Amino acid sequence: MKNFTHLLVKEIKELLNKQLIISLAFILIIFNFIGNVTKSEMKKAMAKQKVAVLDLDRSPVSRNLIGALNAANFIIEEKSGDKNKVVDEIRHSSLDLLVVIPEGFGEKATKFQPVEVETYSFLRGVSLAGRSKSEVVRMLLNSTNEYLSNEFLKAKIPEVDPKLLKAPIKNREYVIIKDKQAEGSSALVIGAMTAQNFILPVILMMIIMYSAQMVITAIAMEKQNKTLETLLTVPISRTSIVMAKMLAAALVGLISAAIYILGFRKAFSFSEGDIGQALSGVAPLLKQLGLTINTQGYVLFGISLFLTILCALALATILGVLAEDYRTAQSLSFPLIFLVMVPYFISLFADINSMSLPAKLLVLAIPFSHPFFAMTNIMFGHLNMVYLGIVYNFLFVAVLLYWTTKIFSTDRVLTMKLKWGKKKVVL
Amino acid sequence: MGVVLEVQDLKKRYGSLEALKGVSFKVEEGEIFGLIGPNGAGKTTTLRIIATLLTPTDGRVTFLGYDLKKHPEKFREHISYLPEEAGAYRNMKGIDYLNFMARFYARDEAQVKEYVERAERICGLGERLKDKVGTYSKGMTRKLLLARALMTKPALAILDEPTSGLDVINSLEVREMIKGFTKEGVSVLLSSHNMLEVEFLSDRVALIDRGLILDSGTPQGLKEKYQASNLEIVFRSAVR
Repeated sequence: MKNFTHLLVKEIKELLNKQLIISLAFILIIFNFIGNVTKSEMKKAMAKQKVAVLDLDRSPVSRNLIGALNAANFIIEEKSGDKNKVVDEIRHSSLDLLVVIPEGFGEKATKFQPVEVETYSFLRGVSLAGRSKSEVVRMLLNSTNEYLSNEFLKAKIPEVDPKLLKAPIKNREYVIIKDKQAEGSSALVIGAMTAQNFILPVILMMIIMYSAQMVITAIAMEKQNKTLETLLTVPISRTSIVMAKMLAAALVGLISAAIYILGFRKAFSFSEGDIGQALSGVAPLLKQLGLTINTQGYVLFGISLFLTILCALALATILGVLAEDYRTAQSLSFPLIFLVMVPYFISLFADINSMSLPAKLLVLAIPFSHPFFAMTNIMFGHLNMVYLGIVYNFLFVAVLLYWTTKIFSTDRVLTMKLKWGKKKVVL
Repeated sequence: MGVVLEVQDLKKRYGSLEALKGVSFKVEEGEIFGLIGPNGAGKTTTLRIIATLLTPTDGRVTFLGYDLKKHPEKFREHISYLPEEAGAYRNMKGIDYLNFMARFYARDEAQVKEYVERAERICGLGERLKDKVGTYSKGMTRKLLLARALMTKPALAILDEPTSGLDVINSLEVREMIKGFTKEGVSVLLSSHNMLEVEFLSDRVALIDRGLILDSGTPQGLKEKYQASNLEIVFRSAVR
């Protein structure tokens, strides 16, 4: 145990070196910078925006429309005169949106004839603020349309509610999950769950990728620096060597992943508060449908994740033995990254349960897949899938760990090489 | 003098290649035993088996009465191995590397200190031990590694081509370090293709070629037997 701890400390120190600390600090600074820029752009987009309006109609309806724009988040700068001259004037100013209300707008509107306004966007870049400005104007016009149509209907058929006329069928939506039913929108439920689980696949991917890369690099560096042979002859069991390398890689991988996630959240403003705020309205619906996770669920997820990390580490250790130096170690980590990316993208954009059986089996054969789908399976009560995943990963880990220790206990740790030319492993 | 290491009919096969065809020799307490032969003769394979890195296909190796197949951990406790192309952790300072290695063998902190102080004396690197290993020349790294191998006063130090790739001055210094250390009771098993070096260092030598021991004895005894002026001529005569 003394020698194991001694080796573990050395492994952690080797992995958590100056270069890694600097690159992690750099990542934090970069993400923080991106976050600040994004936030400032968002702030600009949310702030009161200046919009130029040229009212060529000057009717009560057009004045109402300008009033509505004013009441919204806009500072109206009214222009007058020839349209082309106004467009030219704005082209050379800091304003970037012009709404032109044409002559006859009010008259046509009151006669129920089609009317139109013209919106000129002056693009000076592709910033978020610029994009949101035209989007808000579009929404505002929609609301004005709604307002005007309601007013017209009220004038024509005063005894009927205009809303009833425009939408005579009202949809009462219900969502059913297994034996539970609740009134609400399925889109809302899916949206809420997606928002809640958005960060999870990213975390999983980071942890698996980082831990695996760390252990491959650690073993490859021992080979490159010609220190492995000496290490294998010191009085410490081969199992301890394997375990110390795997544990150190897992710890440093976790630290690196945590820093990436922290930076990621800073850059994209994901916080518990943001997600909580987004979910607060849907929470009772999710609770009614049983889409919440209890302690048992978290324990199951934890076991699934732990076994997956062990799988990645054991697989990476074997790949590390095949690597002869740092460069080949980097190439050998690509298959692992690919295997992690498959469940990552499927969990983001598809539903594993609606895939064809062969495709589903193929995805689930990847040991890293299981924790990606475990959370959703736990929520939807597909516990058998979770248990099967845990058993599968347990067997996978047992075989891999046995094989890894076996490799380290025999000549293979020194003689196993990947022959690129012949595309086969020589044992 | 008792026998520290006994190798009997040692065989090693890599697929269809028979690297060792039945190697036998004994190393006695406090002696330097040299294995000499050309590249590919089977020297490194023999040393790697004794150092517990490779498993023999057949044969028996006993060290201080322990059988290699049954008690490899006992070998690791009392043997120090210096591979031909060994390196040290480049990001560690020389002194930290010695400390790191000493802790595997030491019972307590006092013994760690004793081992490291001995290593400092052996390697003679002085203040340079405070620098990172990555900044060392090949000669300095070899001296550090040799000091690492000898600092614990192992019952048997296995040195594979100890002066390989070193210049004349560094080679002489390393040879003197090895010669000086056996006076403290350490047995040394070394291999080299430099037969003059082995002749200078070894109390007894074994001539190995194509996985077989051709002959063994003291350098003087072999020279007399083959009526040769040095071991190179002895080896040529033995091969014929």
